[in-house]
Amino acid sequence: MKVLIANRGEIAVRIIRACRELGLPTVAVYSDCDRGARHVRDADQAVHVGPSPAVESYLRIDRLIDAARRTGADAVHPGYGFLAENAAFASACRDAGLTFIGPSPDAIALMGSKTAARAVAMRAGVPVVPGTDAPLASDTSDDEIARAAARIGYPVIVKAVAGGGGKGMRDVEYPADLRDAVRTARSEAGSAFGDTSVYLERRLARPRHVEVQLLGDHHGTVIPFVERECSIQRRHQKVVEESPSLAVDARLRERITRAAAAVAASAGYTNAGTIEFLLDEDGSFYFLEMNARLQVEHPVTEMVTSIDLVHWQIRIARGERLAIDPARAATPQGHAIECRIYAEDPDEGFLPSPGLIRGVRAASGPGIRNDGGVASGYTVPVFYDSMIAKLIAWAENRREAVARLSRALAEYEVLGIRTTIPFFLWLVRQQEFLDGRFDTTYLDRLLASRKGESFSELTDGDEERLAIAAALDAWFRATAGPSASAPRAGGWKSVAREEALR
Amino acid sequence: MTFEIEVNGRMRAVTIERAGSMPARFRVTVDGASRLVDAQRVGDFGVSMLFPESGDASGAVQIAPLSGGGELLGHIGGRTARVVVNGQRTRRAGADTVAAHGEQAIAAPMPGRVVRVLVGAGDAVQARQPLVVVEAMKMENELRSPKAGRVKNVAVSAGTSVEAGRVLVVVE
Repeated sequence: MKVLIANRGEIAVRIIRACRELGLPTVAVYSDCDRGARHVRDADQAVHVGPSPAVESYLRIDRLIDAARRTGADAVHPGYGFLAENAAFASACRDAGLTFIGPSPDAIALMGSKTAARAVAMRAGVPVVPGTDAPLASDTSDDEIARAAARIGYPVIVKAVAGGGGKGMRDVEYPADLRDAVRTARSEAGSAFGDTSVYLERRLARPRHVEVQLLGDHHGTVIPFVERECSIQRRHQKVVEESPSLAVDARLRERITRAAAAVAASAGYTNAGTIEFLLDEDGSFYFLEMNARLQVEHPVTEMVTSIDLVHWQIRIARGERLAIDPARAATPQGHAIECRIYAEDPDEGFLPSPGLIRGVRAASGPGIRNDGGVASGYTVPVFYDSMIAKLIAWAENRREAVARLSRALAEYEVLGIRTTIPFFLWLVRQQEFLDGRFDTTYLDRLLASRKGESFSELTDGDEERLAIAAALDAWFRATAGPSASAPRAGGWKSVAREEALR
Repeated sequence: MTFEIEVNGRMRAVTIERAGSMPARFRVTVDGASRLVDAQRVGDFGVSMLFPESGDASGAVQIAPLSGGGELLGHIGGRTARVVVNGQRTRRAGADTVAAHGEQAIAAPMPGRVVRVLVGAGDAVQARQPLVVVEAMKMENELRSPKAGRVKNVAVSAGTSVEAGRVLVVVE
């Protein structure tokens, strides 16, 4: 099997690593701006698929299939994002005689519609959040929508049927705001997914986001894994994930994993997927949606079960039977936490901070896993998601995992761009985080309560050390002579020389 | 040799002199207080410091220019701070760290699409009030006012695709 990876960044690197470990040759694809990217260097072969904008490269089904043909690849791994949950891509791979390392096109299409997926869950006997069972067609009258919302009960969320990543979602507190919310959700959904269908769901007050990873083979076996806790979200986007959840005990785990497996089985689901649930304060849980792909946060599951999910994706695609002890998959060994490190400036409202990386020292050491996609000398492009790495800490228990994560974050250096590392160092010191007392609204509320202070909390001593180091740095540059050509503006040298002449 | 070093907006005068015959030893004076520092350059941007008079304390710092403007960022234990050496700041850094005066143009920091315009010409705005939302790198980004003032003009509308550097709003 030769595997073409239809993706970029850290997940392409992650998949290449798995292929290497299984002795499989790999083909990377890249756009104009990614020629120097790490996944291109790490793969055995690499094919250019177009200009930098994703619609002209990583989303071009024809060019990806052509790249597989040209290189003799006979399997395709889609990673996450881009075409990972695009049924047309999975079909195109199948039609071209390529093994798609993921679920069937039918399963992708079924779970890709949020209302159809809710119907699957209901058929499997799994509770869903109260909401409209069918999409609200674009000609549904305002009165009809208002009646549906009143039946469900406020507050409600308007959601895109084709949604994902927080796009096409609007919270509605009061009936008066419903009409505008439906309109903006439709327009956002239209531009993001090419589909203006929306539906309504009740918004739970303080839910946790708990999800269940699973694997299904082509012989009828579905194995659910210990849950992941992903309640730390900024604007509906996960930023920290961990496993297990402090809110889930062994009995609840048994119930929620069984429910997840029932939904997957009822959809005829194969390969890796994740069922997302909302967990209410009273311990009841509701099916939210299914992600028909490998997820960003899969490493925390791997860390607490010692099972390599990407290996299994490939083995399942090759027709192998799942040979995993279900008890082992559902029983966490220790605790793992992941932070998504983004090229963003947390002190400027998380504004993207693309650009040239001048140096990277990734954290390492006991219990640390770094899934990175960048290296020194690489320019983080403006065209894609700004995640540059995932830092995962494992330890025997949560308290030690947080301490280890904190240690690793302080070690992590990315020079040349801003990253969210200072934000995470701040977050892991917050009492509610340390206590595990949070829900999906926690981080947005916490951030809203801040008054513009920097996430980098520096003591006078830290600032003085920085000042001394900056002066020494300038001194070294001024006195090193022409051989130590600095890659920065030459202003200091002349200033320093003038000073020296005094 | 004396340097004027600004860290997070606070200025310090730092004087560096060689101390004795050991090549890595320096007598460093910060705002009049003197200490001995054993300093070693590490890599392109790193400085390792030992403080023999403070229990041999160790401090490792990276001072690296940010991509783009050349503004310096100091890194210490995973946290960062803006650093300015001898007043060598870029225009952007200047606008951010010094209280903004006069007319300020808010430009797109990267290519993207204007999703929402939150103010109109003539509106009074507070410092850091969001003005425009630009979608770039798959995220919606709020661009904020650098100062309190009045919106002089709005140069874009929702749906406009913008290049990096395109002026979106002018605040006076």
